[in-house]
Amino acid sequence: MTAILRPLAVRALTLLGVLIAVLVLLVVSLGATGFSDRLLEAQVSEEIRAFRQAQSEANTFIEPAVLERQAIERRAELERFYGLDEPWYTRLPAAVLRVLRLDLGEARSLRTTEGDTAVSAIVLERLPYTVALLLTAFVITVTIGLIVGTRMATRVGSRLDRALAFLAAISNAIPAWWLGILLIVVVAFRLDWLPASGMYSNPPPEGRWDRLLDLGHHAILPLLTLVPISVGPSIYGVRTMTVTAAQEDHVALARAKGLPERQVNFRHILRVAAPPIVTGLIFGLLGTLSGSILVETVFNWRGMGRLYYDAVSGTPDEGVIVALTFVFTLLYVVARFVLDVLYLVLDPRVRYG
Amino acid sequence: MDDAKRPVQPLADDQGRAAAALTEGVAQPALSVPQAVGDVERERSESAFRGAVRLLFSGWIGKAGAALFLILLGISAYVLLTYPGDFGTARWSSPAYWADNPKGAPPVWTNWLGGARAVEHAVRSPGEPVSVTARGTGEVRVYRVPFAYDADEFPGFLSATLPGITYATRAPFAAFSLLRPDGTEVRLANVVAPGPRPGEVAPYRRFYDTPERVLLSSPADGQSAQALAQVYATEYPGLTVPADLGNRLAAGLFARPAADGSGGLEPLPGEYALQIQVVVADAADQVAPPETVLGGSVYGVMGTDSLGRDLFQGLLYGFPIALLIAVSAAVSVTVIGAGLGILSGYAGGVTDAVIQRLCDIVTNVPKLPLLIFLVFVYGAKLWLIVLSLVAFSWPGLTIFVRAMVLQVRSGQLVEAARALGASRWRIMLRHVFPQVAPFVVAQMIFTAPEAILAEAGLSFLGLGDTSIPTWGQMLQAGFQTGGVYIGLWWWVIPPGVLIVFTALAFMLLALAMEPVVDPRLRARR
Repeated sequence: MTAILRPLAVRALTLLGVLIAVLVLLVVSLGATGFSDRLLEAQVSEEIRAFRQAQSEANTFIEPAVLERQAIERRAELERFYGLDEPWYTRLPAAVLRVLRLDLGEARSLRTTEGDTAVSAIVLERLPYTVALLLTAFVITVTIGLIVGTRMATRVGSRLDRALAFLAAISNAIPAWWLGILLIVVVAFRLDWLPASGMYSNPPPEGRWDRLLDLGHHAILPLLTLVPISVGPSIYGVRTMTVTAAQEDHVALARAKGLPERQVNFRHILRVAAPPIVTGLIFGLLGTLSGSILVETVFNWRGMGRLYYDAVSGTPDEGVIVALTFVFTLLYVVARFVLDVLYLVLDPRVRYG
Repeated sequence: MDDAKRPVQPLADDQGRAAAALTEGVAQPALSVPQAVGDVERERSESAFRGAVRLLFSGWIGKAGAALFLILLGISAYVLLTYPGDFGTARWSSPAYWADNPKGAPPVWTNWLGGARAVEHAVRSPGEPVSVTARGTGEVRVYRVPFAYDADEFPGFLSATLPGITYATRAPFAAFSLLRPDGTEVRLANVVAPGPRPGEVAPYRRFYDTPERVLLSSPADGQSAQALAQVYATEYPGLTVPADLGNRLAAGLFARPAADGSGGLEPLPGEYALQIQVVVADAADQVAPPETVLGGSVYGVMGTDSLGRDLFQGLLYGFPIALLIAVSAAVSVTVIGAGLGILSGYAGGVTDAVIQRLCDIVTNVPKLPLLIFLVFVYGAKLWLIVLSLVAFSWPGLTIFVRAMVLQVRSGQLVEAARALGASRWRIMLRHVFPQVAPFVVAQMIFTAPEAILAEAGLSFLGLGDTSIPTWGQMLQAGFQTGGVYIGLWWWVIPPGVLIVFTALAFMLLALAMEPVVDPRLRARR
């Protein structure tokens, strides 16, 4: 058991280090540029406004001067509470904690569909849409990659194989989001086959299933963008790993023993190739995670990626940007950890070595 | 199932391996370190270099990459030589500069694709006068600006701009008239330079600060409409002259009354010319020839955007910028990545451990979100974008170079150098670095497209450096103003094509480099 736990613990520590490094980078950047002061001041002002209102409601006959004095006292109290009377670096630990809890106050202009202004609520509302889109794209890419990749492994050196290798390499040169724009212009605008953007028709259809279908209909174009970009490297990765595994001596032995070809393929080649294939595929997923920010933007898919665009353009919403950066890092780190666990589960050498 | 039973060939094709190495990225050491370091050393001679170059360009990938790269360099050089230094701020971001241009106009060549022919937007300078005749102490200069008109729609407007007049005694004046293909002449407008102000001394300079723009097809100009109606009446007797000619002067000037007598207009195709008679009281008076504009609805090589900006100019400007981003990012990543890699591999111990842990952390960070954050917080400056990019891109190379250095270090060359008493730094620079250099160069070229794509992505989110227009920013403008959704394809497709083109140029070169830097790929052949 310790054979598994030790490398896992090392990875967990590294990834924790990543999380801490990103957090520190976030709060130091915000502090050094004065962003955090502004964020906190906005929060203090908001609380003072609420305080004034509460005071004047509680006591209708309160004198303006008294109210004013109370408000000033309250403000000083709050500023001390948030550490605004001290330089920014003394508040670093508190700031890290706030980011960790997504306690980043109210958004300026962004809202949830219910009108909630809390940054955490806005970001968390968008999270499922990003995960749903990404996972769907990932599952499609992996399925195609596994099916086509293992087939290609038996045809190494063929014309098709070379073409695929070349396509896989140059798909790195094509920005997914631009492919999305291209699809909008051609498929949505010229041919008018699919909706160009958004997640639901306007007005959205009634009933759960109809809504789900509508969502799926709107997801086709984003998927048609995300899948082709990542499917080339995916196929090629599977093919290369399978080829490498098929060269091993034990495969020749299995064939010599007269095992059925099916069994050789699954138990002796694919089983051995599985760990590096999983690694490659999840690396692909992590790449797509970044790409999805831009693809969501293009298609107005209201996930976290589009939220980035909304928060950057128009009135900048610092709190939302910080929360998004943190949540994206968290997603990334979690995905990496899942990858490591999977690798350990799949690779017996790590367990018994 | 013969195929499956045959022992699979060990990756016979160079391209395949190269592509595999590239797609898997530098973080995974897919390219294994050459075991025979001695091979590399022996090849460090002049002839080996020439051989490597020949190998690099022997395949079509290398040739294609080199050709694309030369095109990139050529266009960049042209732009650097001909564009003003402040193109971004003074021209691209200044709406006034593009005021005369049609907004959202497709390129001229869309006319060739069939359908109704649109009017080409034409900006012409007359050049030399066609005739100069003396009149008293002064003279009459006649300029002629030809316009070929052959379209299914009418022009939007006809205008002329006087860029500057200098005179000594009496103010010069310019008379504009249109020569039509049916042999008629329509008088349009007269412009007189403002006379001397009290206390002003000769020479009098006019219109230099704000060029005088004359809208020749102005509907308010009743005289032109009358003159045109006269022409219609004498030239096309029996056809109804449209009553609202004054409001449709731009159309009427390039038309004739509809032959069916409905009172409408139909286009009159042919060779037109705007004639400008400049009358000066003194032969030494200077009147810069006016620039004339025929307002059309298709424009130039690549069309215009919603502000009327000439997209061709913007697209060209993107070339040197993309090259700048690619080269500066790639060189910085390489210097930092390879430097730390050599240090880490050669120094070992605590230095190695610290650098490796740092690599671990930086490779596990999601790049784009942090780039967005940093550029958002510290401001959208191009150098900052490149710097942030570099900050997250070096570890791949460091891990790779370190693995190579570990092998090189135990080689005989380094051992001999150490035995001779060479210092650590000397060994690292003179003996270790040259051996890893070819790989580093290949990886450097591979870093370039990544930088271009990252900058484009950031620009697309609205975090581009607006003082330096890039292809990404053009795409962003097209997207944000809804150009994508109303089908202004000439606005959103070319910048992306150029991004792919540039990234591809570097990627093909990197692909072609792989067999050059990895001798094993050659040996297999």
